[in-house]
Parts: sequence; structure tokens; C-alpha cells
Amino acid sequence: MTGMIERAPIEILGWFLGLLGSFGVPGWILAAVSAVIIIGTVIGIFLGLFALTSVMERKILARVQNRYGPNRVGPFGLFQPVADGIKMITKEDLVPRTADKAVHFLAPVVMMVPALMVLAIIPYGRDMVPAELNSGILYFFAVGAGTEVAVFMAGWASNNKYSVLGAMRAIAQMISYELPLVISAIVAAMIAGSLSPSAIVAAQGGFAFGFVPQWFVLTPWGFTACLVFYIAALAEANRSPFDLPEGESELVAGHLTEYSGFKYATFFMAEYVGMFAVCGMLVTLFLGGWQAPLPFLTIVPSWCWFFAKVCFVAFTMIWVRATLPRLRIDHLLAFAWKFLLPMSFAAFLSAACWHYAGRGPLAWLLSLAIVGIPYLILGNSFTNRFAVSRRTYQFSE
Amino acid sequence: MKIIGEWFVLLPAAVLLLAAGASVVMRNLIHAALCLTLSFIALGIVFIALGAEFVGFVQLLVYVGAVAMLIVFAILLTRPDRLTKSGTPFSGLGPAGGAATGFAALVVLLAFIFSSPLAKKPLPAPASAPVAAIGGALMGNDVVALIVIGVLLTAALVGAAVLAMEDKP
Repeated sequence: MTGMIERAPIEILGWFLGLLGSFGVPGWILAAVSAVIIIGTVIGIFLGLFALTSVMERKILARVQNRYGPNRVGPFGLFQPVADGIKMITKEDLVPRTADKAVHFLAPVVMMVPALMVLAIIPYGRDMVPAELNSGILYFFAVGAGTEVAVFMAGWASNNKYSVLGAMRAIAQMISYELPLVISAIVAAMIAGSLSPSAIVAAQGGFAFGFVPQWFVLTPWGFTACLVFYIAALAEANRSPFDLPEGESELVAGHLTEYSGFKYATFFMAEYVGMFAVCGMLVTLFLGGWQAPLPFLTIVPSWCWFFAKVCFVAFTMIWVRATLPRLRIDHLLAFAWKFLLPMSFAAFLSAACWHYAGRGPLAWLLSLAIVGIPYLILGNSFTNRFAVSRRTYQFSE
Repeated sequence: MKIIGEWFVLLPAAVLLLAAGASVVMRNLIHAALCLTLSFIALGIVFIALGAEFVGFVQLLVYVGAVAMLIVFAILLTRPDRLTKSGTPFSGLGPAGGAATGFAALVVLLAFIFSSPLAKKPLPAPASAPVAAIGGALMGNDVVALIVIGVLLTAALVGAAVLAMEDKP
């Protein structure tokens, strides 16, 4: 029964293709139809998640701030995305007269396409990867680099000093945080021995002592690498507390200033889909992908576990947005280069020592030390620099 | 499906040539830089279509993600006021002379490529785990390449730090 639910998407697709094949459709058309159905399903799921997130984020932010969120449109405000969509479509599409029209038009497209392409290599369940690539992790980062070009195009084409400044800051932030992101992903790939996401998920299978899951996040180096990946992912997606490029009180929405209506909605969509894609990658690399946490919970289908974990990580991202203040650009870049990058190297070294010291208690102590000591040193070095000295006040007489 | 297999290489190659030609001819510098970025993407797709997945993805990651941004920042930071190319050419050759020079360079390069010993050997069978094979070669036989890259990156970092340091009076 549970096996049937778990394999239901694959079985339905196979039945449909068999039906088409029995009508004499040639093989290559069947392959094309299969690809279109899989792509359509994945994009449909993630756009549905985007619509749901756009209202859930506002409601969760509101609840943290002790108020209700949108609750007029539909039950508990859940039809708010429909109202937002109608508003975005019917808004006037303003293009500045001196703007670079071709580049201004193409920037949202170039932003959206990598965000969608990246969803192809994430394993959504057992045997459910849209594209089985040997170097899937490399594909993820290579395609994600297209986002930076889009941000520059958006900022440049608006012919607006604030947009260009915002775009340069956004690109500096994205380039700085790309390094800790990639290195912490490589930590997981190194221990699993492969760059393929399916192999990394499979390497986190099994249960130690019969009930403890062997996810990478439950090891010292995996915990560090997971946190570094999480923080760097927040910065790559331009989400608070790293949303200086698009904060309203800063550069008037930075590189998105001159965009209105559907193009702004496309940027918004690309940011949320990118956020879910990177949450999916975090779940794949560190949280065990579609694996269940306990042996008796494997009756729940694997894709249910995957989406539950992704939604939980997205919830924590919204939670962080509601909680932490925005970082200034120089603090942001210093944090990336002086804290996250050394911590990612420490996690790398710690994972290597853990792998070669066997799997006993010595390996755990050694890897914990290699990760913990740099953390304490680096953390203290930051607080000392910004320490508040004793203040003296002088009043005028 | 051999015809479709060849088109996967020929079509990106055509885009590559067109984009590279456009980036040379265009007046607006930022448009030229963006066409060059398109040619980098097309080259990455050519690599992937030829079966060299790792090289293709690294091309996309490094060239599109870093080198294109470097070109764009260099244009923005050095000449933000005048972004169209000036009318006077760099040398006195003119377009015909430039085309002849380019053609001569192409002939020389093709002569070198086709006369090298690599072109005479048969293609080796693709490795079953290409990334692992590349890693093994970089740490084993070709470790000099890795060390040289490390030295180069260190020099670049030291240079960047020196440039960004404030001048002490």
C-alpha cells in the first residue's frame, strides 16, 4: 500500500506513456512527451509553492509581529496570491524613456530561467530525479551563476544611478557568498564520494544503532557546513538579513526600482523559486533528502518527506527574516570573507579528518575540535572589534 | 538519431560564432559584453554536447559567473561616462586588414591543431567516472597544474589586497 503511494507518480507516468505507445506513437515522441510532463509537473509544483509561500510569508511575518496577515481574500486569506496576480497583470508596464529597452526586457527572463533550470537535478523522492546527472552539484552552481548576470542587466538597463549602485552591491554580495556556498556543498559531496545528488542522498541512508538516521547534519562537520550553506543561501537569494540590495528604505529597491507590473512579479517569482531550489539542495546535501528520520516512519512516501523538509527549511528562512535586522554592506562582506569562508574551510578539514580517522569516538572528537576552535576564535575576534567602550557624556551648560 | 546528435553541437556553435562576431562589431560596450557572455554560455553548451560535462559546467561557472562579471565591472569602473566605442580604430588597418589578420590567425591555429600528435591518436573511450578521473589526474600526474593555479590565485589575492589597502601617508 505504502509502496503504491510512493511509486504513484512514476507509475502514473508509465501507464500514460504505455497508453500512448499502444497507439503506435514512435519512441522519440514518447521521450519528448515524458520530458514535457515531468518538467510541467515540477514547474507546476514549485509555482504553486511560490503562490502559497507569498501568502504564508506575510501571515507568518504578521504573526511574529503580533498582528494578522492578509485575511480578507478567501478562507484565512489563502486566495491572496490570486488577487496579487490580478493586480500584477493589470498594472501598467513602465519602461523609462532613456532605459536600454532590450536589456530591460530580457533581465527578468534571464533571472527566471536559471531559477527554473536548477530544479532539474534535485531528487524529489526515491528514483524521482528529473535529470540524472553525474555532476549535478556542479550543474546547480553553474546554472545559478546566471542569476548574477540578470541582476547586473536589471540594474544597468534602468539607467538610474541607484539601480546601478544596487546592482553592484548585489553582485558583490552574491559573488562573496558563492564561495562558502560551494565549499560547504563540496564537503557533503566529498564524504559521499560523488557529485550526483542521488548518490549523496543514498549515502545518508541506513540507520546507526537501528534508529539514529545517518544524515550529514548530525555530524560536527555536517552541522557546520549545513549552517554555512544556509547562511550563504540566504545571502545568495537576497533574503533578509542580507536583503540590502532590495530593501525599500535603502536604495529604493535597488536594481528592481524601475520595474513594475508583470516584470516585477517575474523577479519576485524567480527569487522565491530560487529560494525553494536552494532549500531543496540543502535538504538533499545535509538533511538526508527523501530519507525518513526513523525506521518506522518509512511508511510515509519519500516525496512527502522531501517536501516536508523543504517546507520546514523555508519556514525557518521566513522566521529568520522576521527576527533579524538587516546587515550593512560592509558588515555583510566582512562576515562572508572573514567568518563564513574560514568556517567552511574548517568544516572541509574536519570532514576529511573524520573520514580518515575511522568512525569511532576519536573521529568525532577530532572533527568537533577542528570545527569548534576556529568558531570560538573567529567569533571572539568579531565581537572584540565592535565592542562598546565606556561612554562618557558631556552636557552643555 | 545521428542528425539530431550533430545539431546539438552545431547549433550552439553557430550561436557562439554569431555572438562573438556581434560582440566585436557592436558600438555599445555593455551590449558587446553581454553578447560575449552569450558566447561563453554557447561554448559551455558545446562542451556539454560533446560529452565533456565537467569542462562545460566549469566553463559556465567560471566564465559566465566570474569572468563576465569582471568584464562588466571593469567597463563600469573605468569608463562610466562614455560607453560607446569611439569611431577611430586602434590601428590603421581598417576592416579589411582586420579580417585578413583574423583569417591568417585562424589558418595558423588550425595548422597547429591538425599537426599536433593529439589529432593523430584515436579518441580514448570516455571514462566511467570522469570527475573522479580528472581529480585523480590533478592530484597525481598533473599536480604541477594544481600548484601553479594555487600560486596564481595567491598572487591575485595579494594584488587585490594591496590595491584595496588604503594608502598610509
